[in-house]
Amino acid sequence: MMLSMLYGVGIAFFGFVLHTSVAGINRKISGRLQKRYGPKWYQEFLDIFKLLSKRATSHGWIFDFGVIMALGGIIATAMFIPVTNNFLAFPDFDNFFIFAYLIAVGMLGMAMSASGSGNPLASIGVMRALTTMLAYDIPYMVVIVTIIKLTGTSSISGLALYQQAAGNNWFIVALPLGAIVAVLALMAGLGKKPFETYIAPAEIASGPLVEYGGKQLGMLFIMMEITHFIEVSLFVNLFLGGAENIFIFLVKYFAVYTALSLISNVYARFKIDQVVLFFYKWPLLIAIVQGFIAIYLGWVI
Amino acid sequence: MASIELLLIIALASGFLAYLLGRVNRVYGAIVTIVSSMFVFSSLAYFGFTDSLDTTVSILPYVTFQVTYLGMFFAVMITFIYAMVSFFNPMFIKDYKYPGAYSMLYILSMAGVIGVFFTDNFMVMFFFFEFIVWTSMFLIPLGHSRKAAVSYYAFSAVGSFALLFAIFMMREAAGSFGINAGLAAISGTNAIVVFILLIVSAFAKLGAFPLHTWLPIAHGNAPHPFSPVLSGALVKLGAFVAVMALIKITPNSYVIVALDLPLAQYLVAIFAGLSIVFGTLMAIRQDDAKKLLAYSSMSHGGYILLAFSLGSSIGLSGGFYHIVTHALATGAAFLAIAAVGRQTGTTKMSELGGVIQKMPVTYVVYLIAIISMAGIPPMGGFISKWLIFQAVIDKGLILLAAAVFFGSIGSFLYVFRPLAALFLGQEKPQFKGILKEAPVIMLIPMIVLSGMNLVTGIFPNIFLQFINKVIVELGMAPVVLGTYTIQGTNGILDPLQITIAFGIGVVIAFIIFILLKKSKQVGLMDTYTAGNFIYSEELMHYSVDFYAPIERLYEKHTTHVQDMYKSLENKVKEFGNVVKYFFFTNKPEITVFWILIIIGALLWGDLL
Repeated sequence: MMLSMLYGVGIAFFGFVLHTSVAGINRKISGRLQKRYGPKWYQEFLDIFKLLSKRATSHGWIFDFGVIMALGGIIATAMFIPVTNNFLAFPDFDNFFIFAYLIAVGMLGMAMSASGSGNPLASIGVMRALTTMLAYDIPYMVVIVTIIKLTGTSSISGLALYQQAAGNNWFIVALPLGAIVAVLALMAGLGKKPFETYIAPAEIASGPLVEYGGKQLGMLFIMMEITHFIEVSLFVNLFLGGAENIFIFLVKYFAVYTALSLISNVYARFKIDQVVLFFYKWPLLIAIVQGFIAIYLGWVI
Repeated sequence: MASIELLLIIALASGFLAYLLGRVNRVYGAIVTIVSSMFVFSSLAYFGFTDSLDTTVSILPYVTFQVTYLGMFFAVMITFIYAMVSFFNPMFIKDYKYPGAYSMLYILSMAGVIGVFFTDNFMVMFFFFEFIVWTSMFLIPLGHSRKAAVSYYAFSAVGSFALLFAIFMMREAAGSFGINAGLAAISGTNAIVVFILLIVSAFAKLGAFPLHTWLPIAHGNAPHPFSPVLSGALVKLGAFVAVMALIKITPNSYVIVALDLPLAQYLVAIFAGLSIVFGTLMAIRQDDAKKLLAYSSMSHGGYILLAFSLGSSIGLSGGFYHIVTHALATGAAFLAIAAVGRQTGTTKMSELGGVIQKMPVTYVVYLIAIISMAGIPPMGGFISKWLIFQAVIDKGLILLAAAVFFGSIGSFLYVFRPLAALFLGQEKPQFKGILKEAPVIMLIPMIVLSGMNLVTGIFPNIFLQFINKVIVELGMAPVVLGTYTIQGTNGILDPLQITIAFGIGVVIAFIIFILLKKSKQVGLMDTYTAGNFIYSEELMHYSVDFYAPIERLYEKHTTHVQDMYKSLENKVKEFGNVVKYFFFTNKPEITVFWILIIIGALLWGDLL
């Protein structure tokens, strides 16, 4: 058990390094799109280590405790991620619902810490983040329910193996409508435009992050990178057939994240009620239609 | 061996003792509630789990007992909540107009619980059912709202009459008031009618849509220590009735082949789903923390009904476990809010803020409770919700899955609101310096309940093994359990492993935190304000209309059900006026005349 735990911590660390690099490269790509030179690919590492080394202010014990709980919860969640068919810490125990709900501990920690700072902008940011979550998670979950019902397993690595088996397509092909919903939900989950209402730097001063600096901000950045790693890896495993080896995983991971970054570059920001209305109008409808035709009519490509 | 009859008599006697002592000194009466409820809970739990409860009856007339795992499950859990909450009574007793009566009614309503769950006779069950309703009806107005008691009684009456008619129909079919005989004997069209009646009764008791409007009124206005009992314990009587209807009666109804579910069960599930969604939406927009928790009870009642209606053993297991975890979580949350209410004099979130600075223990209790309520590991709520998800997905119910997940994510929203607006944020100036942590006697039950929330989340198999016995007794296959693992229909869960992973994560984060440079402590007003000079705490605290953007989307549609009941109430009043006009005018001879006519009509054919 202890060995698996260490293995899991290794995966979390791998996820941090991987996502920070991929995000750095994407900053460069965005820069080139906007005819800038862009920062170096390892700029995000420099930012985080600089922040960790600086002296910061704290608004009381809950402010600090929330940060620890946030990072701890996210590391725990990342430990369960299956990277490839063999690179995973807990075979059979990588239940989808563990990711869906354990990730919430980290989110709750961050929200609690932000509200504990006493800044109303932070509370508004948290309110918007939770509202966005209520919007995008329902359609996404309906798609996942469809997948679990079709395959009979909720283990992420099990689902990846199912897609790799001969005769089965990746779910991005097998359930095309569901895949559209999942892409939209993933964009909202990653806080990409047009769904980045809860960060909104010029409007509510980065929302939940407004009061942070120094090591607290650095730890929250680490937490964000690992959160993004979890969300993108889940997409790769659920819809793109997982990965037989680490090389395929890296390619798929980079492709997904870069594609989403490119899409988000051309959008402006939604208002928060527009986010809710948007997700409850089309994606929820599409997800339910996909569920009906896949489960009751058996139309799976 | 311990006789149930003796326990019941001791409970009833201690109720009257509490009244008498309460007349001498109000605190003595409250202390009797602690002793009595702890005694009843511990003897029920000890003798129950060692299978040594004695059912012989020698003193009480008409009463007969039986011990079932189902009854014991409910009785032990509910008396546990009574026992925990009773520690709050001495601290609140001075607020009541009739302190002796409060202590007595508190114990008597608990005595009723023993009667309901250990009898094998429908009439005795109904008697104690009403006993609980009547005692709690007089407890609620002690929180200074008469209207709340009326509303509670009106909806309870709907449930009680539905139950009574169902009992009569089963008596007609079976020839006796025996519970098992009655449930087994009913068949055909009668089974459908009894099913509907029992479901109405269950909905009214659980506060499920559309019979939910009494929940926020009663929970919100009841005395602070009685709200957790209502929400955590008494509401669960509805779940007991629902089990009788959904599991023990199987009316011949059309089976939906695609869903592998009878139509009757599916309709109940739909209403349960609506309860989840509407409860969540209403909870999001409450300003009073107690009303917010009341609506969350409605939503969780929906989860329980939904789990039972699916008819699979994993669903049943999830439903029963959700009863436990929700009772523990909502009990702890209500107690934490009650503690805040006692120390500050209000439970309205818009009037509070920064309570954590002076009441950190209460805050932690509330935090653990809401983690469980929102279904986040490592607390019990995660396990029970996981089991319910398994059951829903196993049937492939897409629309209900959407409702279930809406309730689950929505619960993050509403439980976070008191956390941010009431406990965190700026410390209000009117509470600075005067606010203190709750007294130790109040902290004891809160800490015990928090511990239980953790235990239910880390070692759920202790409880699930007992629930398996209940399920087997109801004629279903038990859920497969390992030493630490639970086998679902589409995956395995190892709660201990998740907890260890979380622990390791927190340790790593803590090491990173502690190794880095120490932070400078600054005050809460020392924050970024974009260059504006904000001088008062009120202006820096975000607590009013917390979820305004999402509330705006549905705020026009929040009163439909209330409006319906309001117009129904007006019709009843008008009818009452008509009756009054014809029958009860200021001339008594007219009244006597009508009474004679009616008696004559009733006896026509028999005597005349």
